[in-house]
Amino acid sequence: MSVKIEKLSDGINENLFAFVKYNEIEAQRGGYSNYSYWKSTFKVFSQNKAAILFLIIMVVLLIFTVIQPYLPNQKSPTEISIDPQTNMQLRNHPPDKEFIFGTNSIGQDLWARIWSGTRTSLFIGLLVGLWEAILGIIIGALWGYVRQLDRIITEIYNVLDNIPTTIILILLTYIMRPSIGTMIFAMCMTGWLSMARFVRNQIVIIRDREYNLASRCLGTPTGRIITRNLLPYLVSVIMLRLALAIPAAIGSEVFLTYIGLGLPVSIPSLGNLINEGRAVMMVKQLRYQLIFPAIVLSLITISFYIIGNVFADAADPRNHV
Amino acid sequence: MNKILSVDDLVIKFKLRGRILTALRGVSLEIFEGETLAIVGESGSGKSVLAKSFMGLLDNNGWIDSGSILYDRKDIAKYKNEKEWLTIRGKEIAMVFQEPMTSLNPLKTIGKQVEEAVELHQGLRGNDAKNEVITILENVGISNPQSRYSQYPHEFSGGMRQRVVIAIAIACKPKILICDEPTTALDVTIQAQFIKLLKELKNKYNLTIIYITHDLGVVANIADKIAVMYAGDIVEIGKCEEVFYNGQHPYTWALLSSLPQLGIKGQPLYSIKGTPPNLFYDIKGDAFAPRNEHALKIDFVERPPYFDVSPTHKARTWLLDQRAPKLEPPQSIRLLRKEWEAK
Amino acid sequence: MDREILLEVKNLKVEFGAKKNKFTAVDGVSFHIYKGETFGLVGESGSGKTTIGRAIVRINEISDGEIIFKGKKISGKIDPQLDKEITRQIQMIFQDPIASLNERSKVDYIVSEGLYNIKNYKSEEERKQKVAKSLMDVGLLPEFASRFPHEFSGGQRQRIGVARALIMEPELIIADEPISALDVSIRAQVLNLLSELQREKGLTYLFIAHDLSVVRFITDRVAVIHKGKIVELADTQEIFKNPLHPYTKALLSSIPLPDPKRERKKKLIEYNSNIHDYSIDKPKWVEIRHGHYIFGNEIEIEKWKKGLK
Repeated sequence: MSVKIEKLSDGINENLFAFVKYNEIEAQRGGYSNYSYWKSTFKVFSQNKAAILFLIIMVVLLIFTVIQPYLPNQKSPTEISIDPQTNMQLRNHPPDKEFIFGTNSIGQDLWARIWSGTRTSLFIGLLVGLWEAILGIIIGALWGYVRQLDRIITEIYNVLDNIPTTIILILLTYIMRPSIGTMIFAMCMTGWLSMARFVRNQIVIIRDREYNLASRCLGTPTGRIITRNLLPYLVSVIMLRLALAIPAAIGSEVFLTYIGLGLPVSIPSLGNLINEGRAVMMVKQLRYQLIFPAIVLSLITISFYIIGNVFADAADPRNHV
Repeated sequence: MNKILSVDDLVIKFKLRGRILTALRGVSLEIFEGETLAIVGESGSGKSVLAKSFMGLLDNNGWIDSGSILYDRKDIAKYKNEKEWLTIRGKEIAMVFQEPMTSLNPLKTIGKQVEEAVELHQGLRGNDAKNEVITILENVGISNPQSRYSQYPHEFSGGMRQRVVIAIAIACKPKILICDEPTTALDVTIQAQFIKLLKELKNKYNLTIIYITHDLGVVANIADKIAVMYAGDIVEIGKCEEVFYNGQHPYTWALLSSLPQLGIKGQPLYSIKGTPPNLFYDIKGDAFAPRNEHALKIDFVERPPYFDVSPTHKARTWLLDQRAPKLEPPQSIRLLRKEWEAK
Repeated sequence: MDREILLEVKNLKVEFGAKKNKFTAVDGVSFHIYKGETFGLVGESGSGKTTIGRAIVRINEISDGEIIFKGKKISGKIDPQLDKEITRQIQMIFQDPIASLNERSKVDYIVSEGLYNIKNYKSEEERKQKVAKSLMDVGLLPEFASRFPHEFSGGQRQRIGVARALIMEPELIIADEPISALDVSIRAQVLNLLSELQREKGLTYLFIAHDLSVVRFITDRVAVIHKGKIVELADTQEIFKNPLHPYTKALLSSIPLPDPKRERKKKLIEYNSNIHDYSIDKPKWVEIRHGHYIFGNEIEIEKWKKGLK
C-alpha cells in the first residue's frame, strides 16, 4: 500500500491517531437552524426595500387619515368657505398656504375633503375586504374539503355567479337609500364569491396530500384539519387576495359613484372627489382637483398591491432558508 | 483508453438568500472513453450538482468558483452563455433525469420527439429519419415501435417513459450519457430491466455512462468505476470490485453494510446515524467524522488527503495513514471480502 | 400452534371511478395477519397494495368483502364508538417523509395530534411527557418538539411519522412503503427502529413494499400481489427458498445484489402474464404446502408441486 501525503500542517502528531468516543446525540443534532415561521416571513419581507417603503407610506396614510380632523387649523370637509372681500363662495381657489390643495367648485377645502374621503373609502375597503376574507375562506374551505357539500355549493355558486355583479350593485343601491351602509352591504353581497371559489380550488389541490390522510387516520375532526392543515398552507395566497380585495373595493366604490349610483355628494369619498375632479378636468387650471385625489387613490392601491405581493412571497416557506 | 472528461479541483457554490453554500469542495475525477462511472452518495452530497456542471445546467444561483472541467481539450467550466453550452448539451453529453415527464413534451407523440432529435443531430430527413427513430425505439426495448411511434407520453408507463427519454438522448448521438437517479421512482423489476438495457445500449452505441444514484446496491452490475461522494467531496474512488470488496473509507463501509440485502433477519441492520453536515458552514477535518462510530481525533482537526490503495483506487481517510490504528471493517464487508478472495 | 388472528381480510374488492370507467384496484383479496407478526405485501406500483392498506384504515371505501379486526367487522358502516376505537388501534406510516408531515406545524403538534383527538391525557404536562417519550422511543431528542419538520432529514422525518403513530399505542401499524422514498443510507435506521419497537411493544405490522430485499429482512410472512390479486403467500423463508409463481421469481431476480461478481452472473427473469392459459382451466387459490398458498390452475399446481424443495 503506497501512501501519498499531500500536505500536512505542523499540528499533526501521533496522538491524533486515536479513536474518539462516538457521540450519537451530537450526530443527531446537526443542521439545526432555530426556525420560526413568522420570524422568517418577517425577515424575508423586510429584505425588500420597496415593500418597506410602501408599508411606511401605508401606515403613515392610515394614521394621518385618522388623526387629521384633530390637528389644529383643519377645516371641515363640508364647510363652504366665503371670500371675506366679495362675500362670495371661494370657488376653485388654487392651492396656496391657506388651502393646501385648493378648493372645489363650491368653495370646500379640498385638503380636508381628500382626507375625509380617504377615511370613508378605506373604511369601506377594509370592511368589505375583511368580510370577503372571512366568508370566502369559511365557505371556500367547507366547499373544498367536505366532499358532501361540493355539489350543493357548486350549484349555488353557479346560480349566483351568473348574475352580473354590476346589476346586483345597481339594483341594491336603487332599492335602498344611497349611503355608506348600502354601499358596504351591496359589495359584501357579491365580493365573497370569487374569494370562496379561489380558496376552494386551492384546497382541492392540497386536500389529498399524505399529511391530510395521516390526520384522517388519527381521527382529527374536519374543523381542525381545515384550520391546522389546510389554511396555514394558504396564508400566502390568501393574504395576496386580501391585499388586492381592499383596493378593489375602493375601486368599485369609485366606479359606482362615478356612474352616479354611489354615495351622495354630501359624503366625501375618493369616488366622489374623483367624479367632481373629472367634471372640471378639461380646464387646465382646475386639473388639480382630479390630480390630488387620484394620487391618494393610486398610493393606496399600489401600496396594497406591493405589500400584498411581497408578503405573499415572504409567507411562502419555499422562500425561507 | 482515452480520457474523455477530466475534472480538476472543482468547487461549486450556491447563493441562497444571502448565504453561501459550498456544494462541491474540490472534486477531481477522470472518466475514460467507454467506461461506466457510478457516482454514489446520499442526497445533498453534491452528486447531481457535479453532473449538472458538465452540461451547464446549474441553477442560476450557483456558479463554478474554481477548478476546471476538460472535455475534448476544452475547459467547459469557463463556458458562460447558452450558445457555448449548446455545442456540448445533447450533442456531446446527454442526460436522463429521475422524473421522465420533465424531459418529455406531453403534447407531442413520442415518435415526433425522438425524430426532432434525429433531425437536429443526425441530419436525416423524411423517411430516413422515421426509420432511424423506429430503430432507436426498438433498441431501447419498446415493442411495436411502428404503432407506439404515434402515441403520447401519457399512454406509457413510468418505465417505458424512461426508455423514451433514453431514446431521445441516444438520437443525439452523444459520447457521454449521464443518468441522474433514473430508476429511483421506479419499481425494482423495472429498475433491473432498465439497467440491463443500459448495458446493451452502451455496447451498441459506444457510450460513456455516468450513473448517479444513492443506492450502491444497484450499480454492482453496471459500474466499471465507482466514486463515493459525501458532503461535496469524493471520499473514495476505485474500480467497481475494489470499492465493493476492498472499500477503505468508513462511509463506503456504512453505505454497503446498511443495504438490507446484506442484513441477517433478526439482527439489526448496520445504520448510519445522524445527518449530513450543513454545507453553509465550513467543514473542518473529515466531513463524515461526527457520524463515524470509529472516528479518530485527527478526523476532527485536519481534512484527510487521498491515500492510494492501488493505482486505480484511492480514499480520503486517515485510517490509511501509517500512524493510524488498524480497524477491521464491519462484519458484512468482511464476509463479502472473504467470498471474493476465495474465488 | 394456534395463533391469535389480529386482522382478517376476506374477499376484499375495491373499485374506483363511476360506472363508465370503473377500475378494479383490488380484486378478491383474502389474507390474515397474526398478532405480533410482520406481514409483507409486495407488488409493483398499481398492484393495489396501497389501496388495501388504505381500505383497512378506512380511507378507501370497499366495494365488496369484509375486514375483521379482533373478531369485529370494521368495514362498511360501523358504530361511532367502534370507529373511535379502531382509529386508535390501527395506525399508518406513510411513504413520503416530506408530504406526510404538516410543514406548518411544530413537531409537538404533529406528534400529539392523535392525543388531542382521543384526549387520553389529564394535563398539558402529561401530554408533553407523552410526546417526549414517544420522540425518545423513535430515537429523537425531546427538544425536537419545538422545531418544524423541514429542519429534519428524511430519516428523522420518517421517525417523526412513526412517533405520531406510536403515541396512540396502536396494535396494528400499516407501514406503506415506509422506506422507499429514503436514501439507502438511512433506510436501515427506519427498518431497525420498526423491528426494535415490535420487540418492545409487541406491535403487529402490515408492511407494504415493492422491494423483496427489504421484505426478506423484516417480514415473517409475505403475500405477493399482482394487478389486484394475491398470487402467492407463504412464510418469508419459504418464499425465498421455494418461489413458485413466475411473478414471485421475477421479483426475486430483480433484487440488485451488492456483489459485482454475482450480480453480473445473475439471470434476470421477466414476467409476462400471458404465459398463463386460464381460458378453460380456471385458476384457484390453493394451499400447495402447509402455509404456502398460490394462485394457479390445476396444470400449474401439478408442475409447481414437483418443483418444491
